[in-house]
Amino acid sequence: MKERRRGPIGRAADLAEGVAAAVRRMQREREPRVLVYDQTGYARLLQPEARGHERILEIGERMVQLAAGEDAGGGARGGGPEAGA
Amino acid sequence: MAGTLTPERTATRLCELSSDARAAVLLDAAGALAGSSDSDPERGRALGDLARELFETVDRATRDWDTEPAEQVEVQVPGGAAFASRTPRWTLAVVARRGALSSLMLYDLRAVLAELEGGPPIRVATPAKEAASRRASEEDAASESPVPELGRDADREET
Repeated sequence: MKERRRGPIGRAADLAEGVAAAVRRMQREREPRVLVYDQTGYARLLQPEARGHERILEIGERMVQLAAGEDAGGGARGGGPEAGA
Repeated sequence: MAGTLTPERTATRLCELSSDARAAVLLDAAGALAGSSDSDPERGRALGDLARELFETVDRATRDWDTEPAEQVEVQVPGGAAFASRTPRWTLAVVARRGALSSLMLYDLRAVLAELEGGPPIRVATPAKEAASRRASEEDAASESPVPELGRDADREET
């Protein structure tokens, strides 16, 4: 078991470790990734070297770009595919 | 039947439910666009094509896996995230803001698809502040809670 540090230096070190862990976690969350879920909700990460990984990320980026355009355009809420046509 | 969710309204419904959702599309079993949250038909169609291609590519990528075909997909990219969920009849895809909670987005997708397929409607709670800002009347009070309000009886006793 890890021995707990005591005193102000120990507390500062604990705090720094917590901040570093949070930064690492945030960086990890920001990394592009593809997760696939089965019917039970079990998630599997599609490895970067897997077939189709790059294409899936491209699709995701394109979808985000389209939606960003939608936000900028301020389009009214639509409906069916013919809405606004 | 009143209150039933239609395919045309499904994508909009999802965007209304989730503040992190920016745009959504619904595809039918054949992969055709059945509804979009945006009024621009071109953009809705493009998003629908991408959503269809997303599952096609995922199916190809996971063909060798010893699991059932994927039901939901999450793609995290620098500007945001795309989520998609499917049933045998429908595919619902949404683009979410950066930092949206995956578990919540995936839950919302499942809940809206369940509502579309005849499940119970999703209940949306009224924020406490909003409810408090409404002018209270005795009729409202009587209909909302059988518990007498504190202080009211005391006022009566004084008069």
